[in-house]
Amino acid sequence: MSDKTDSAHRHGASPRGSDESSTSPNSVSTNAGSTRQSPVTFSFNGRPIQALPQDTVASALYRAGRRTFSRSFKYHRPRGLLCVAGKCPNCLMNVDGTPNVRACTQPVQAGMQVTHQNAYPSLDTDFMSLAERFSWAMPVGFYYKTFTHPWMWRIAEPLIRRAAGLGRIDREFRPEANHDYEHVFAHTETTVVGGGPFGLQAALDAAERGEDVVLIDDQPALGGHLRYAPGENSTLPKAFTGDTDESALAAVISRVLDHPQITVYTDATCFGVYEGNLLAIAHRGLDSPAAQRLTQLRTDQIVVATGASEAPLLFENNDLPGVMLSSGALRLIGLHGVKPGERAVVVGQAERAESTSQALQAAGVTVAGVVGPADVVKAVGGKHVTGLKTTTELLACDLVVVCGNWAPDAGLAAQAGGQIEWDEARGVFATGALPPGVTAVGAATGAGLPPSLDTARKNGANAKKTFVCPCEDVSLHDLSTAIAEGFDHIETLKRYTTTTMGPCQGKMCKQAAIDVCAQETGRTVRETGRTTSRPPTAPVPLGALAGPHLHPVKRTPLHAKHDELGCVWMDMGEWKRPLYYGAPESKQASVEQEYWAVRQRVGLIDLSTLGKLEVVGADAGKLLDKVYTNRFSDLRVGRARYGVICDEAGIILDDGTVSRVADDRYFITTTTGNIEFVQEWLEWWQAGSGWCVHVTNVTGGLAAVNVAGPKARDTLAKLTDRDLGNRRFGYMRCRRAQVAGVPSLMLRIGFVGETGWEVHYPAEHGEHVWDAIMAAGKEFDIRPFGVETQRVLRLEKKHVIVSVDTDATSNPIESDLAWVAKLDKGDFIGKAAISRAQARPPREKLVGFVMDDNVLPPDGCVIIADDRPAGRITSVRHSPVNEKVIGLAWVSADLAAAGGTIGMRVNGRLVTATIADQPFYDPAQERLRQ
Amino acid sequence: MIQLFRKERMWRTHDLQRSYDVVIIGAGVHGLATAYYLGKDHGITNVAVLEKSYLGAGNSGRNTAIIRANYRTPEGVPFFARSLALYESLSRELEWNLLFNQCGHLTLAHTDSSVDGLRVRAETNQIMGVDSRVIYRDEIAKLVPALDMSDRPRLPVLAALYHPPGGIIRHDAVVWGYARACDRMGIEIHPFTEATDIHATGPASRNAADTPPGIEPPEGKITGVETAKGGIAAKTVVNCTAGWATVVSRMAGVSLPIVTQPLQACVTEPLKPFLDKVIVSANLHVYVSQTDRGDLVMGAEVDPLQSYSMLGTLPTLEQMATYTLELFPQLHNVSVLRQWAGICDMTPDFSPIIGGVEGLEGYYLDVGWGTYGFKAGPVAGKYLAECIATGKTPELIEPFALSRFRNETLVGEKAAAAVSH
Repeated sequence: MSDKTDSAHRHGASPRGSDESSTSPNSVSTNAGSTRQSPVTFSFNGRPIQALPQDTVASALYRAGRRTFSRSFKYHRPRGLLCVAGKCPNCLMNVDGTPNVRACTQPVQAGMQVTHQNAYPSLDTDFMSLAERFSWAMPVGFYYKTFTHPWMWRIAEPLIRRAAGLGRIDREFRPEANHDYEHVFAHTETTVVGGGPFGLQAALDAAERGEDVVLIDDQPALGGHLRYAPGENSTLPKAFTGDTDESALAAVISRVLDHPQITVYTDATCFGVYEGNLLAIAHRGLDSPAAQRLTQLRTDQIVVATGASEAPLLFENNDLPGVMLSSGALRLIGLHGVKPGERAVVVGQAERAESTSQALQAAGVTVAGVVGPADVVKAVGGKHVTGLKTTTELLACDLVVVCGNWAPDAGLAAQAGGQIEWDEARGVFATGALPPGVTAVGAATGAGLPPSLDTARKNGANAKKTFVCPCEDVSLHDLSTAIAEGFDHIETLKRYTTTTMGPCQGKMCKQAAIDVCAQETGRTVRETGRTTSRPPTAPVPLGALAGPHLHPVKRTPLHAKHDELGCVWMDMGEWKRPLYYGAPESKQASVEQEYWAVRQRVGLIDLSTLGKLEVVGADAGKLLDKVYTNRFSDLRVGRARYGVICDEAGIILDDGTVSRVADDRYFITTTTGNIEFVQEWLEWWQAGSGWCVHVTNVTGGLAAVNVAGPKARDTLAKLTDRDLGNRRFGYMRCRRAQVAGVPSLMLRIGFVGETGWEVHYPAEHGEHVWDAIMAAGKEFDIRPFGVETQRVLRLEKKHVIVSVDTDATSNPIESDLAWVAKLDKGDFIGKAAISRAQARPPREKLVGFVMDDNVLPPDGCVIIADDRPAGRITSVRHSPVNEKVIGLAWVSADLAAAGGTIGMRVNGRLVTATIADQPFYDPAQERLRQ
Repeated sequence: MIQLFRKERMWRTHDLQRSYDVVIIGAGVHGLATAYYLGKDHGITNVAVLEKSYLGAGNSGRNTAIIRANYRTPEGVPFFARSLALYESLSRELEWNLLFNQCGHLTLAHTDSSVDGLRVRAETNQIMGVDSRVIYRDEIAKLVPALDMSDRPRLPVLAALYHPPGGIIRHDAVVWGYARACDRMGIEIHPFTEATDIHATGPASRNAADTPPGIEPPEGKITGVETAKGGIAAKTVVNCTAGWATVVSRMAGVSLPIVTQPLQACVTEPLKPFLDKVIVSANLHVYVSQTDRGDLVMGAEVDPLQSYSMLGTLPTLEQMATYTLELFPQLHNVSVLRQWAGICDMTPDFSPIIGGVEGLEGYYLDVGWGTYGFKAGPVAGKYLAECIATGKTPELIEPFALSRFRNETLVGEKAAAAVSH
């Protein structure tokens, strides 16, 4: 890991914001980490909004006077800024077409188009807020308990569906082909997640031990809570030398940024710890709200320094705009220079309430009172808070600052396999025993956090308006009802009420739900437990996960030739192959011309996509005998043999030819799509055998063509010194030869049913040999042919194509390939199963058939007998030589006798075919041996 | 409707009795459905359903809640068609809305051979009375305007198998609905009561290691179950577990031809209605649907390696994202909220094992459900209950007996099961 000039690093290189450019009269010095120097304008719902350099979308809107930022999921209650840390759901907006963007952490770019979500016609007047009027009729479990008649549900469902959801996606929108997402792979020794004071210290400690360190922080600048609340924490690590003022922070950050061993990612969220200490890190896009880069970082050590999240307290109307978490208010002041309100009431206990009040006052906010959490009755107000009612009085205000409970952000530690334990003294779930290689520091361990308050307090207020889960509008009343109904385990409670399942992923509600559950069931919090922490810990865009749209296409060495010849391409796995040559509208004519060239003269097909393996070593034959159903140890040098690979259940996995080119060397072809599998399969069975054998995939190194037809010999004879006569180069023989001056391996093979040779030669000479063959065949009117023509040719020979004519249940016995299984040789993969298959009557058979009246059914047509499915067609084509439609089909065994009739439905009409047990062309197998 | 304003416990808690007529291990949809139909159809209510965790903690709460009947084989189609029919009337029967949305289900094909496979399924479905047909690009574009039907994707969509009655359901609700109905009949549900052993008469060393691989069970009779909360006498024990079916079955000395592989899924933030069909792509190994809440739920194929791990992995998450964007490129800036995994018991032929076990009286299996168990909960429960109550194996579940692995009469569903969701 050495990329010190990472763009995220550059982005974070300015830990201190500029405090000279703010134009707000209420400006305070900020620590926003922005690199922008001058104000910009963006648009909100079509209206221009000024933003200062330190602004996020939300802070600029707040400064411009906006207080309602969203409408809630279910009741469409107005919601304002709450956490200002990108954690709660209250400021989700659409930014430049991206839905559900947390406006409070989204840096402003000039010209950004921001629109609200989930409210009509506007955030301030939302017709859907009528839903709240009916909340009495919608208790928890509402959907389960109503509409139990299917017809009622059919009416209600579309309406509910229309109302649900938050952000909107344009269905018709098609992004440009290459979206700018990037995947980066990196490794390091120590990774510190979290750039607060303890994370900074951990990074320095590791770096000073000489380790390579990556430090990750999800904010634009390092410093954690010290950026906005320097007074919040009394115990700082040693690098800060007990001094909490900003100069100390700046000095530590400089040390970190300047340290050669430390790489810093800011604006980067580590959202998952996966097996083997693999960290997934999403980097915020600099120009777009979608994260543009995903780093996969392997690390020896993980230091979890993720800090803690503040969560709301429970009281009536605790979700009103103007009710803000203390950290949220301090962030508005400290990071963005925005005054959160004019007149505030602080809800909290002694020291924290005190320090929060001081910070508010320093920013020019009048503090109307400090109220202990136990004394709060409810927040008062319609669309915005106007006061706080306590047990004794009503305090008028436009801001309620809640010193909520801090819950350690221990999700990553849990994902890494660490224990999350209840710390009774502090009242938090924090990291406990951690696996080797994982440590936790700072607030993630619960250290330094103020003691938690009992969140489940009621004070006789309306529990229906006391919201535990702001994402899903789940109230205290909902939770207690659900618990009374028997959903009293935290996991069932979660699933029934959907608490913790919204966009905040439980950051605002998890602990409160646990507290309520414990209180209502009379269990302790420890007994109540917590729900599983799953990745991602923060939402990650699909585009970042998917990365760049890279879809490998494999092209044969002859690709350009086919293009020149005007072929129609087909996809075969990752490969491109010519289907036939000619215009799509004259497919039938083209295929027939190619067909007759092969049957009457000579044709040429590119076989470079075939999988090709060399199996070399003294025990190569043993391995092949073990893996193939045929015997190969007795194959003489210079000979080739057809082979089939089965699994333990006798199911056909692949087929191809095996040629013995030397005593200890076999050359194998596999089907195009199965090369990797066959290689792995051979290596799997070789492993541990102690046999001397090596398997090498030579597919990419070789080009291959098949020259086939009555004139194939005459054509090739011009290009090689090899005697191609039947006596010296008979059927199923292999020879090394020079073809057009290129060292090649020639295989005499007859897949298409004519005299023919496969020529395998170095890919570098792909076009040269092709051109030479075309030139040599010119006098015979040679034609290149494609896959479609080859399929007709081989079908006439009843040559099976594995995975076209066979599937995951086909064994050799039923596939009419019984001859390939040498049950008299030693053990081989699938022997037992094939033996049993041979001993019992078959259930189905693969048979050839001829259509009775030349209708062409589609591939995959079902065979019908007695109105029941009794098989299916695997391949069917018009046979030019027979002038009939022929094919292969699986039929139940009782229908499989030659001469029998099978039925099928084609275009709604029942048609019949007759079963044929012989190849449809040259049944005596003479032509391919000529 | 009255229940809306009544606070009624869904299921009560009980102390474990010393004996029951039937003990069911696993309180997911299969175990609870079996208990429910034992009580409802056959009047057998002295039943305990044991669950090692909370109700529906296993695959019943981890699947992607897709219901369909458009299978491929003559054995599979009527079975899943029956299950679909049971699901259609289940909300009403249980007086508990399962949020079953029969929005329609499309299996996409991106290659010629996949199109052929769809034709086989469509024809088989039609012959057996299941609403299913192959549709082509124009009709697909009309049904699912969000789908990218251009030639931009590496493998453009060529055709789809359209199955109008298929859809999605609220999986947890099925578990809760069955549990409540069981409770009302007096059937006891025991969460957090792990079965630790199964007792039976027979060979002294009823030890899985002694049984030949897979299939030959030792002679004997079931006598009871040991649990974390004490022993229970029972002449009938039903293994309705998933993920650990082999482990539980070994307690009875019956080893199963099952391997266990994780299957992963993920969910996005809620979006306004975007997609109102279930989209499955066999070639891309991904399936996508949008819930009534607006979340998009995506699932992958099973992980390539055998494991009991229920931790999500990054490569699979990336793969789900990649394939989803091949189908719906406009979702590139939609965020994933959660990923999770369930563990699936895979049989060699991608078909379940249901029914009694020859040689071990009183032991019943409802296991090996691979990646498609949730769809079959009601039908498996109903016919297994009949099997237990009458001692005769109903015709519908006969093809799925454990003995098929000895007789090599496997079901051909694997051939169609590249993605079986």
